[in-house]
Amino acid sequence: MDLSYKMRLVVLAVGLCILAGSGLLVKGFLVPESFGVYGPYRADAIMEEAALPIRHGTNTSCFSCHAHEANIHQAGLHKTISCEFCHGPYADHVADNKKTGTLPMKTGDEITTLCLRCHNTEIKARPEQVIKTVAMPDHLKDRQVKLSHNCSQCHHVHAPLKHILRADQIMDRAGQANELTEKDI
Amino acid sequence: MKIMPPLPDMKKRSFLKKVLNGTIAGSLYLVFPMGAGSFEPPEQIPGIRDREYDLMNQDFAFIVDITRCIGCGSCCVADKREYNVPDGNYRTWVERYVKGFSDQVYVDAPNGGLDGYQTPRADIREAVRDTFFVPKLCNMCREAPCVQVCPVGATFTSPDGFVLVDEKRCVGCAYCIQACPYSVRYLHPESRVVDKCTWCYHRVRKGLMPACVDVCPTGARKFGSLKDEDSEVYQILKGPGVLTVLKKDMGTWPALYYKGARREVV
Repeated sequence: MDLSYKMRLVVLAVGLCILAGSGLLVKGFLVPESFGVYGPYRADAIMEEAALPIRHGTNTSCFSCHAHEANIHQAGLHKTISCEFCHGPYADHVADNKKTGTLPMKTGDEITTLCLRCHNTEIKARPEQVIKTVAMPDHLKDRQVKLSHNCSQCHHVHAPLKHILRADQIMDRAGQANELTEKDI
Repeated sequence: MKIMPPLPDMKKRSFLKKVLNGTIAGSLYLVFPMGAGSFEPPEQIPGIRDREYDLMNQDFAFIVDITRCIGCGSCCVADKREYNVPDGNYRTWVERYVKGFSDQVYVDAPNGGLDGYQTPRADIREAVRDTFFVPKLCNMCREAPCVQVCPVGATFTSPDGFVLVDEKRCVGCAYCIQACPYSVRYLHPESRVVDKCTWCYHRVRKGLMPACVDVCPTGARKFGSLKDEDSEVYQILKGPGVLTVLKKDMGTWPALYYKGARREVV
């Protein structure tokens, strides 16, 4: 092929144009939509992350139906504990305005294990001013109850001092055994 | 004595029907209170729901108060359930630090603190000088090393300051896992992409606290907006208390602050 100098220039220009065009076309396919809106990443990923389903409600979510438990829980020392920590996440229980499943209740030794997750004196790393801890089974011996007792046989799990204060009241020994007041239910 | 006139057009049968219907409706109303199910928990981060979320004008901070952590592991449990985190991987965890009189530091985190701390460490032969729990999670670095190393733009810092992972874009090369100075990233065993703590971004965008903050019984974890001068984190950061960040010398500028962290904490 014997092309003139001008023709060669034209062929070169057309070739480069085709190359650039196909390059842009391929880039259009490969670079995802919304890439580079805020930076070198897919901006839609932010909305996708934000749209994840919420599995935990708050205690208010639980209290919207369980009014009886709410009254006890909110009046007690355990008011800062999340319902869902012991019972399981809201999403396993309610979906689209309907009850979809039953959350497990802790029973027997499970309760004691759960209590000692926070209240075990043996773990020295717990700051004293934040949590009251007990040693087991010294506490049971001290209170003169069977060593097979679960925590929940004396302590209401939702308001640990509810029954104890009531017993003190009935026995007319309020403020003797425990230096507690009404608000420490 | 006044004799009551009979009620107009009221037959005994229809009257009973109406009373019965009313009773049933009333009792149902008690069983299913208004709006139950469509219930939305009250806003925990003020100012998120009532106006359009301005992506470009946000500043969030997370504060962990070590002096209040009791190592119950509520946060770890909540986090695992919120994201269905596979066993053996942790988006957040709680470490136990024990410092002996020889200045030797012992750190452990059995199962990331998921099962709580039920027994003391049996392998320490010296007297214990100091011991405490340290919850760990994503530091949300303003200069994030993980973002710098990602070859495909799958990890990024969003304009509102969250370091997120685009799981559709991630190729699972795990470069970011090596780059993270705080070891908060893991490769998801099923999806084969990287996953990490996002400070519960989906909850924050709906005005809720991150799951770990919401369940913490002692208030050891605090989260909030620094644009809101009434928020707890703003008040703490503004105040004179000593706050530290982990591995400050690496220049990652974390948005996660620790209160009461001893110098041994890394």
